[in-house]
Amino acid sequence: MKEDDPHRIVAPEHTLRADKYPLQDYNAIGRRGIRRKDGYEKATGYAIYTADVQLSGQLWLRILTCPYPHARIKSMDTTKAAALPGVRAILRYDDPELPERADVSGHFGGGTEGHEPVLNRVGYWQGMPMGVAVTADTEEIANEALRLVEIDWEERAFNLDQEEALKPSAPLSNPESYPHGNFVLPAQQREPKVVWGNPDEGFKEADRIIEWRMRKDKENWVGPERPNGLFRWNGEYPELWLKHQRPHLSKRQIAQFFKVPVSQVTLHCFYQGGSFGGWSQMALNMQPNIIAGILSKRTGKPVRWQFTRREDFCGAGMDNARYHVRVGFKNDGTITAVAATSWFGRKGFAHLGHFVENTRVPHLLQESNGAVLNIMPGSAFRCEQNMNAFCLGAVLNRVAEALQMDSTVVALKNDGVDGHPMADLADLKRAHGFANRDSLKECIEAGKKAIAWEEKWHLPGTKKLANGRLHGIGFTFTHEWSDSAGAGALGIRIERDDGSARILAQRCDNGCAAETAYCQIAADELGFRYEDVHYRQFEEAGFTTMTPDSSTNLTVNGYAVRNAARQLKRKILEIATTPRIPERADMGYYPPFPDYNPDDLDIKDSVVYVKKDPSKRMTMAELVRPAFFMGKMDIGSTEPLFAWGWQNQQGAFMGTPGPRPIFVRQAHFVEVEVDPDTGEIEVTRVVNVNDVGKAVNPDAVEGQQYGGSVMGVSRARAEDTLYCPATGVVLNGNLIDYKINTMLDCGPIDTIIVETGMGFGPYGSVGIGEDVATVLPAAFYAAVHNAIGAWVDMPMTPDRVLKALGRT
Amino acid sequence: MRNFAHVNARSIDDAVAALQRYGNRGAIIAGGTDLLGKMKDEILPAYPEALINIKTIPNLDLIEEKNGMLCIGALARLEDIATNPKISDAYPALAEATRRTASTHLREMGTIGGNICQDIRCWYYRNQNNRFPCLRKGGGRCYAIDGDNRYHSIFGGSVEQGCYAVHPSDTAPALIALDALIKTSRRFIKADDFFQVSVTKTTLLDDDEIVTEIQIPKPFGKSAFVKFALRKAIDFPIVNCAAMLAVSENKVTAARICLNAVYVKPYRTTKAEEAITGKAVDEANAEAAGAAAVSDARPMAYNAYMVQIAKTMVKRAILGCT
Repeated sequence: MKEDDPHRIVAPEHTLRADKYPLQDYNAIGRRGIRRKDGYEKATGYAIYTADVQLSGQLWLRILTCPYPHARIKSMDTTKAAALPGVRAILRYDDPELPERADVSGHFGGGTEGHEPVLNRVGYWQGMPMGVAVTADTEEIANEALRLVEIDWEERAFNLDQEEALKPSAPLSNPESYPHGNFVLPAQQREPKVVWGNPDEGFKEADRIIEWRMRKDKENWVGPERPNGLFRWNGEYPELWLKHQRPHLSKRQIAQFFKVPVSQVTLHCFYQGGSFGGWSQMALNMQPNIIAGILSKRTGKPVRWQFTRREDFCGAGMDNARYHVRVGFKNDGTITAVAATSWFGRKGFAHLGHFVENTRVPHLLQESNGAVLNIMPGSAFRCEQNMNAFCLGAVLNRVAEALQMDSTVVALKNDGVDGHPMADLADLKRAHGFANRDSLKECIEAGKKAIAWEEKWHLPGTKKLANGRLHGIGFTFTHEWSDSAGAGALGIRIERDDGSARILAQRCDNGCAAETAYCQIAADELGFRYEDVHYRQFEEAGFTTMTPDSSTNLTVNGYAVRNAARQLKRKILEIATTPRIPERADMGYYPPFPDYNPDDLDIKDSVVYVKKDPSKRMTMAELVRPAFFMGKMDIGSTEPLFAWGWQNQQGAFMGTPGPRPIFVRQAHFVEVEVDPDTGEIEVTRVVNVNDVGKAVNPDAVEGQQYGGSVMGVSRARAEDTLYCPATGVVLNGNLIDYKINTMLDCGPIDTIIVETGMGFGPYGSVGIGEDVATVLPAAFYAAVHNAIGAWVDMPMTPDRVLKALGRT
Repeated sequence: MRNFAHVNARSIDDAVAALQRYGNRGAIIAGGTDLLGKMKDEILPAYPEALINIKTIPNLDLIEEKNGMLCIGALARLEDIATNPKISDAYPALAEATRRTASTHLREMGTIGGNICQDIRCWYYRNQNNRFPCLRKGGGRCYAIDGDNRYHSIFGGSVEQGCYAVHPSDTAPALIALDALIKTSRRFIKADDFFQVSVTKTTLLDDDEIVTEIQIPKPFGKSAFVKFALRKAIDFPIVNCAAMLAVSENKVTAARICLNAVYVKPYRTTKAEEAITGKAVDEANAEAAGAAAVSDARPMAYNAYMVQIAKTMVKRAILGCT
């Protein structure tokens, strides 16, 4: 182990510091059966999403989408469209107001990748919004106007396959931006080549070497709420309703584009639902907002836009890639070296990062080759760690197969606590009130027991069931990685009417019950009943609780809530113990505990009491004293009780140099039955074991495990955006032909929560949102192999399974 | 969606008159589960000017026995058929076919008449904004031939180099296996003949003709329906199959076997029927019948796997009749 390897050395930093004032008792935190703060309004349909917002006099915006995978507008005639009654304005690619290029990327916030023409004359993938935009009185009229636009297209040759695109004879996918070839330049890749240790030496040390190729196809974003927005001008300043994961970045981009002070941009961001790490049209996702702004200004009316579900399917997909993997290992299962090369489409993600952080494999080589293609841009959604997690699982399962060993044994043999600051982490766990214990082993043991691994595991392809199906069982593991960096700010105030607490913050419901979890934290820190804490969307204070990544929602914002609640509690006790002075009494407020110091008091169940004499007590409602009789009685109350909290924590993004200070683990098990006559894979059990450090809301954690299991099974078995090989058009851009799985396809799901208190979030918590869906496919991959004795690429559709079985 | 006229028909004659009035600019709507999606996606070159609603016609949703026949009104909802105990007992192929159709919500909306009259499945034909003006839309070719045809016909096109789409109905093969009769506003058509292979149509119905009832005679034997789909909660079949067998002294004396989603119309496989007739219903004979069913298969570049699945479905449908 090289001492100076930054990937191996995790420096203790402030986010790892233990809580100086840990809670002695958890009441709301960790409790099951908590009523969700947003549950009623969401279940009944009252919750307001961006798509629900309608303004009087609003116009509808529709943007042309490219019907070809690669085409240029030779000429365009919008005369007929402009003449259609109800059409209010048309914006063309050659409009003089449009800059040559602008930052239209949105989610990435000013990255170089997003600088594109607002309305491009050239379309680089089928479904790319481009060319012309129309506003009209209704969506139907806008659609009709688009149909009336006459375009003479120059169709160009296109590339759908990365390995083909990288051949010298391939046509250019984007001659305007990549005139010299389809290679994505190393500078535009996240990690074109990374070496740890000495891979050549590692392979020399190996007793055996295996290698294989595998592929992963293109999953689609498919969020519940389609991309949409609404824009209007309040005089000279813009006001936007946005569906967006990073609204604060969008605000800056809008200000920059329209050259207005960012402080004068009013932005509303309501419930997001499942954001899944972004949304479709990722590469151009500020484009419609900017166009809506231009056309709103020209027409003097609010402009609303929304993509259709079909258009939504053309916007962004997860990386699709091909891999060549080579692994050296000892006969006892110790892996000595892994070398993996990827060929991906446009956006590549690291694929050996989890070896660095999970294993003691000393020698690694990761190489990436990116190609510019004429398919939708790649983007990180439902987590960018897919291939990191999948490669880890694939390698350990392939090594286990080669040695005819149990894969859980291979996992523990290569387990990589080396290099991580285990002593510091152990201190952290102790501070959070947890015993220092081996999380991975615990996770694996719990999962094995739940799925009866010892009874059911067998050598690949060796167990046929009485129903004629082939039984398989698979396992994978990794650590929790929810991104650790982020900033959050919010306030908590005490309601004068009833003494309850209200968290005032931006809407931030990404994930399962995040706002509920914040209320749980505030309740326990304040000493309030959970029922007495509420969450209120509050945009104007400048609080940005929606952190740069929703992955860090709880682990960053949870601290902000905790910090605010602690300050507020102190303030409450100080007010309660203010000495009575005549001037104050004249104002009508009588501090209830004038003879005590704040430290003499505590709050429990929303009641302030004297610690040494609990009979001396007063409810919060009495303490704040709603008042409003004029005259000599009861005109006073406490001063406003408010505190703000803030958290800005460092961390590192996976795959980039720097510390990654978490080492809590997860293990997943999948059991399947494969029908050898049809290739159908029946999932008979899924077991998720997640060490979440501390489960603030166990029901929400399980919600993430259930949801992640369905998504994980879905991406392993079914999901792939299919392009017509002859025309380059998306064929399955709808929810019938794109086979996203549902709960019935998943089999029974066992959820096991492990708590070791070693996370970087409050009370030792870590996020779970990205973990299950991303890690589980490798267990599915292993289970199918265990059943049929052959490896099948994702998605493991019946045609691929039958082919692997030699039945077609 | 674009605007359209909505006409509530009060009687079958009323509906027929409206169809005659609007010609090919009108479309019948019952459950609307197929039609509205097509309209929203603008898959057709022409948009219907009027929807003629037949849900307003009384007594067209009855399920009753008349003269030894099971009579199902065209407007009977799939969910009502799926949960009807008499149908489950005597016509299990139909009960299972309706149970496996779409999702609960769609079964609550969709009707049996609509299910057999639904349009074909092909992701070129159904691509939005009439993106592929294919053969069925008056264009010159079928895009699936050179494209991705993993869910297309394994038994050739409607005519040579014709449409390679598939008929996706789950109830259609069950009705053919059960030897049903389709009653329309002007005639009776055997289910066998109802589904018509032509470039632009899926049924024998004239432009101004509507299905009013489905009549199923007393089954001559046990029936079964099996479906292979990629998802459980909702999906069209990759392949489905219905069978009805009469068995006497351990030998099959009569058989009706029909596959669907493998051809432009339901594919009654007389070869499988012949292969199993006179034989005992066992694993080997069912397997052989399955092989006979696909002996004429001509898979395309991406759908050879469907042949194996079709073979298996035939085998399982036969075994399900025991």
